[in-house]
Amino acid sequence: MNVCKKLAQNLVLVLLVLFSASCAFDGRIHRSEAEADPFESINRPIFEFNYQFDKYILKPLAKGYRAITNQFIRERIHGIITNIKEPISMVNHLLQADPKATVVSLNRFVINSTLGLAGMFDVADGWGLKKEETGFNATLAHWCIKDGPYIVLPFWGPSTPRATVGLIADGFANPVYWATLNDANVRDKIIYSYAAVSSVSMREAALDIGDDLERNSVDFYATMRSAYLQNQSKLRCFNDDGSAGQTYDFDFGIEEEDAAFDEMEEE
Amino acid sequence: MKKNFAAVLAAALMMFAAPARADVDGAKAEAFVKNVTTQGIEQIINANVSQAEKDARFAKLFNEALDLDFIGQFVLGRNWRTATPEQRKEFIKVYRQLNVSTWSKRFDEFKGKEFIFSGTTPSSSKGQIFVNSTVPMDQGEPAKVVWRVRDKNGNMKIVDIIIENVSLAITARNEYAAFIKNNPGGVDALIANLKSKI
Repeated sequence: MNVCKKLAQNLVLVLLVLFSASCAFDGRIHRSEAEADPFESINRPIFEFNYQFDKYILKPLAKGYRAITNQFIRERIHGIITNIKEPISMVNHLLQADPKATVVSLNRFVINSTLGLAGMFDVADGWGLKKEETGFNATLAHWCIKDGPYIVLPFWGPSTPRATVGLIADGFANPVYWATLNDANVRDKIIYSYAAVSSVSMREAALDIGDDLERNSVDFYATMRSAYLQNQSKLRCFNDDGSAGQTYDFDFGIEEEDAAFDEMEEE
Repeated sequence: MKKNFAAVLAAALMMFAAPARADVDGAKAEAFVKNVTTQGIEQIINANVSQAEKDARFAKLFNEALDLDFIGQFVLGRNWRTATPEQRKEFIKVYRQLNVSTWSKRFDEFKGKEFIFSGTTPSSSKGQIFVNSTVPMDQGEPAKVVWRVRDKNGNMKIVDIIIENVSLAITARNEYAAFIKNNPGGVDALIANLKSKI
């Protein structure tokens, strides 16, 4: 346990350093990806390690899971995991000053945990209470905190300092963590089981798309980085009125190609 | 005098009110994309014909609906400008084949499904518009799919597909840029690599 604590402390320190480093980066939507990835020389080996870990451990597990279950069962398990995470969304909707979404999340959690049989069935959705997932990373973005440089976390994958802080905070907001606080022994077992089940379930859902992406990619690291950074750029600051347009609305015209290239590829 | 002033004012107001760029007809763009997806799902994916016939129909639809010359040029980025005419031609050809074969393999994912359209969003690029849609997934939430449509003298073509905020064009562009940067073979090596994937 002591080792864990020390590790956690070190991690927080590293993140703080990265966080302050991130202030040097401006939040231009179209910052080039090389600019967003100053640690590429460290990130690539970690990415490669994750790739091997996935290839020999996680992916076979996900395939095995697919082999022994059917679509119906997988959907129920996915539902349970999604329902467990609903309080994370609730807390973060509250932190993003969105009372309506907070109440929807609360109602969804109560309804689906009971009538929906622990989340196996999304009863609330049928009543017009649509799922709207959010997390602490989105909350930090909402508070106008920049995401910082692109980093690849061992075992986890693409991230940024902000997303990593969000990941840890969401862990604390997860009922699996706080509902089992009383008994350290039970808690550890439950947390590890939950982590294992949810990662295998998540990996199974991404099996086909992951294979497709990899097969077509000439540089899988660059593909994943690009997809991740594009997806992150949808998280907006609260006072961003959207006048900057959609993040994918870059200048896409051959007539203006020189200007567009110069803008996108300043390096 | 007063009348003249009013006319000038009206003209000035109209100049401001008029959009800076020739706007694309949103309803028309949406109908265009809707037609493409309906054709794709009803006449190809759900159709009771051989796989070879499906592939042939899809290749035709794909080439009609997407402006691959335009997309290929964008995707190659700054390397387009330094590429020779042969390299450009070869790249577009390979890129087209790769996309057709990739999407043909994904037919099953769209079986019995239907895109739900929800209006358009203006683009800052000239003669272009975004058509918004969602498509149900086997598991979890429906996926958000945005189609970038370019109107060239009334002839509409899809120039980008954005799935859950990830643009296929930008991803390919970044990926190819990284490949070329790390590869002494440059554009030729890229073309060879893409060829091996078809």
